[in-house]
Amino acid sequence: MSSVEDILAAENELTHLLGAQQAVVLSTRIRLARNLDGMPFPGWAKVPQRKEIADRCVEALDALPKFRRGHVLRMGELGDRDRAVLVERHLVSKELAAGKSGAAVISRDQTCSVMVNEEDHLRIQVVKAGWHLRGTWHIAEQLDDALGGSLKLAFSDRLGYLTACPTNVGTGLRASAMVHLPGLCLAGHMDKVSRALNQDGLAVRGWLGEGTEAAGNVFQISNQQTLGLSEEAILRHLGGWIKNVVEQEWNARRKLAQEEGEKFVDRLARSLGVLRSARLLTSSEAMNMLSHLRLACDMGCLPEERRHLVDRLMIEGQPAHVQARAGQELDSDGRDRRRAAVVREALKDFPEVVPPTA
Amino acid sequence: MSKPIKCSLCEEAATVHLSQVVHGNVTKVHLCEACAQKGGATDPAVFQLADALTASTPAPTLTCPKCGFTDIDFRKRGRLGCPSCWETFGDALGGLLLKVQHEASHVGRAPAGTMPTGQLRRRLDVARLEMAKAISAEDYEAAARLRDEIAEIEKQLAPL
Repeated sequence: MSSVEDILAAENELTHLLGAQQAVVLSTRIRLARNLDGMPFPGWAKVPQRKEIADRCVEALDALPKFRRGHVLRMGELGDRDRAVLVERHLVSKELAAGKSGAAVISRDQTCSVMVNEEDHLRIQVVKAGWHLRGTWHIAEQLDDALGGSLKLAFSDRLGYLTACPTNVGTGLRASAMVHLPGLCLAGHMDKVSRALNQDGLAVRGWLGEGTEAAGNVFQISNQQTLGLSEEAILRHLGGWIKNVVEQEWNARRKLAQEEGEKFVDRLARSLGVLRSARLLTSSEAMNMLSHLRLACDMGCLPEERRHLVDRLMIEGQPAHVQARAGQELDSDGRDRRRAAVVREALKDFPEVVPPTA
Repeated sequence: MSKPIKCSLCEEAATVHLSQVVHGNVTKVHLCEACAQKGGATDPAVFQLADALTASTPAPTLTCPKCGFTDIDFRKRGRLGCPSCWETFGDALGGLLLKVQHEASHVGRAPAGTMPTGQLRRRLDVARLEMAKAISAEDYEAAARLRDEIAEIEKQLAPL
């Protein structure tokens, strides 16, 4: 079994753990950009230097208790589909997957993953299901300290952690929340919310990060500024806004449910109907209808304990995941057919949608 | 016919033209297909970056003694060559940093056990300000955390 198959087969809190999922906030993510002192950044380093960087970083990471019995994946040794699966799971970025000299070290529970030789030598990432800003930060902080103990990191008293891009220098910290905002989208308020967040220094992106569309009403909200603010200030700023966005999302949902009445329930019930009987499902169609099911679970229209199944289908309905499960390359029709079958099977004993209680 | 507009990030002809209005200031960015596809088109930081890059006058060539990276390379890539480049290009990047980051110096964490005194003092100032803000925002949880951090820093500075 390849390591990527292992990752797919393992139960982890984003897709399986009952009770880890929350309404609105799908996951919390902390990313720290770090570099080795005295080595050129990956984009400027020569091939042998990149190899040396990868070896040094992987060796240091592999020795940390956090990664015991975890996975060490060298991008150059993986097939296209395996790399695409890692991107769809947000374990590595598209940029890392595109190059040959990158590597990823992933903890057994898949909450910690460190990209080596992406734009920076090290990109530490910690992801938790639901909204846990402090807890996620503490894990990242511990990893950072442990790594700083075994590697000499590039740091300047005046500029902080030195990074390849000026947009990351200082703390190197990108804190983000993956939020599901069907209420604000349906009410047509998303542009306004996005603008307000942008003006206060937060970025709003689609499901797969930079430059992607917001399929399934899922957005990633993160800080932009990394210099001149302490980690504490960055987290507090993001935390305040997420709390605010979650509140506004609930207001929009309640208003919609109240004003639309039966139409609101009908919309959710139709999505369940289509997902339960469709023979061909495109990726974006599936995402948008699963978004309705998640909304239904949050609002008490479907049992809350089904929410993790919806989250799992959102992740496993992506093209590379569908093909990995099928164990073969599939053309677009083949993927849509296979996706529909997986979704049908997963939803076959779902109860009917009932009027909201939340 | 007028000359084709060049991409703000590389030298290709620009085919994607973006305008952003922030507080009444209009910023225009021109990107070639490839740069726009890289995802830059939706990232507000790219506006600021591209703006700073296009606004600055052609500087005399600077070369990093450690890795051979030049300011022309930075213009093309928007990324630096190695950690030492920050010393070489530090002054030249000052304006850009202020645009992208709104601040010029670090106040956050340092590698374990290496936080320099100056850094600690700066952090102490900021933590005190943040605590006052947290209290006035009635965020007592944050205020308590900051209080503990301040006590910890004061303890570290005490023997000096």
